Amino acid sequence: MKGKRITKKDLLDALKKFLKDELALLIAFERDNKAFKIRAYKKDVPDICLFNPVYEANTAIYLRRIFSEDFKILCIFRPCEARAYVELTKLTQVESRSVICGSVDCFGTVSSKLDNIVFPENPQDLKSFLENSKNLRYACMTCRLKNGVFGDFGLRIDSDWNLWVIPYTGKANVLYELISSAESDLPREFLENQERNGQVFQSSLDEFKRDFDKCIMCLNCRDICPVCYCVDCVFNNDEYLPKGDALINSILRSNDAQIPKNKEMYHFIRMYHVSQTCVGCGGCEEACPQGIPLTKYYKGISERLSGLFDYVSGRDFEEKIPYTTFREDELPNADD
Amino acid sequence: MEKGFEIKDDVNIVGFTCSYCAFKASEMAGSLRLKYPEGVKVIQVPCSSRVDPAFVIKAIFEGADGVFVAGCHPGDCHFIKGNYFTRRRIYALKEMFEAFSMKGRLKLFWISAAEARKFVEKVTEMYNHLKEGKK
Ligand code: SF4
Ligand code: SF4
Ligand code: SF4
Repeated sequence: MKGKRITKKDLLDALKKFLKDELALLIAFERDNKAFKIRAYKKDVPDICLFNPVYEANTAIYLRRIFSEDFKILCIFRPCEARAYVELTKLTQVESRSVICGSVDCFGTVSSKLDNIVFPENPQDLKSFLENSKNLRYACMTCRLKNGVFGDFGLRIDSDWNLWVIPYTGKANVLYELISSAESDLPREFLENQERNGQVFQSSLDEFKRDFDKCIMCLNCRDICPVCYCVDCVFNNDEYLPKGDALINSILRSNDAQIPKNKEMYHFIRMYHVSQTCVGCGGCEEACPQGIPLTKYYKGISERLSGLFDYVSGRDFEEKIPYTTFREDELPNADD
Repeated sequence: MEKGFEIKDDVNIVGFTCSYCAFKASEMAGSLRLKYPEGVKVIQVPCSSRVDPAFVIKAIFEGADGVFVAGCHPGDCHFIKGNYFTRRRIYALKEMFEAFSMKGRLKLFWISAAEARKFVEKVTEMYNHLKEGKK
């Protein structure tokens, strides 16, 4: 694999050229004074922020349901966001011909709910600041896939703090070809494999019930999850989340008088539904008004269940989501 | 007003059974006068792959002590490939149950239409096991 060693200015020049196209759009982070924002750029881009230390939502959610084939939407995302994009293309929720999505090496992030943190501007300082921060989100503290090796291209930092652009798919050419720097072999450290999380998630129903006791069933965690995309979620109807008359009926005909109904059921079903595709971004936890430790459970379960099939969400465009495929001769002991 | 029915203080097991095999086996168990526990409630599905794991989870959280999914032996699916998908899904769902220390509350059986005895054995064993745990 090869790449180009570039400066931030080379990158910006290439992006400016890219945006000359009428149908081209860039989605990236911006640093506006102290605030960090996701934004779209058309026609021109004065500057972008490569390392956004503040996490609001998994940005891939905004790519969902882009079905037109005519755009050229270039995205510069975090690894967990680029991975969600890869999963969404497999789930046919993004027209991948329109989107070119790359990932940048990530130093970890803090919650957007925290105020008054002043982040250093220089990437080196930012990295050590985040490494020593007590405020790192749980998702980032436990993240083993922080490198920009996902999606259509990567923007990576080598040990001498040089920036590299590395194409992973043919689509990356829309950017790669606009960069005039010479192509060269990648530094050795880029080729090392990232480790998998060795710990196997283990909990109990009691612990789970305690942790989710305060859930108010607002469904924010579902709505903000990039890979939870069903338009007709079962929890939109009265059978799974009864309201009004249906709620009263269901209280009368079951042993369970808890209100709101079915929160444990909801989290179990959602956890299973994203158990191969969850990218462990912690977007759900960030959106939860009740401070529930969602990431621990959702990420823990997905790592454990995808491990059964040696699957890593968002690692590869070609790898099929395990529940959508099978091998005839596998799992001889699946039955009881 | 009609009162909600009380769930009996028994072990309740919900079984999703494929209409081409395990459900037939349960019917044959009846005609052979084989007995299995009353707490086992059998639901017929057109193929074991019709069972969305959400159904299993819903049954558990609405009061079932255990759930089983029973389909044709791999390779024998009436729809050719259905139970291969079932195998992956339920295998993973069992792993999730284990992660919450709920092992034994979900089982997957391969039972052909001819295996009435196997059906009875499997569900009775599951029933006894759950009953033991409930004491
Ligand atoms: S989860 Fe990983 S990739 Fe995502 S923001 Fe945190 S450290 Fe970065
Ligand atoms: S379940 Fe939570 S951690 Fe997993 S992808 Fe969705 S938002 Fe991210
Ligand atoms: S966001 Fe929090 S409170 Fe709302 S449904 Fe999810 S876990 Fe419950």
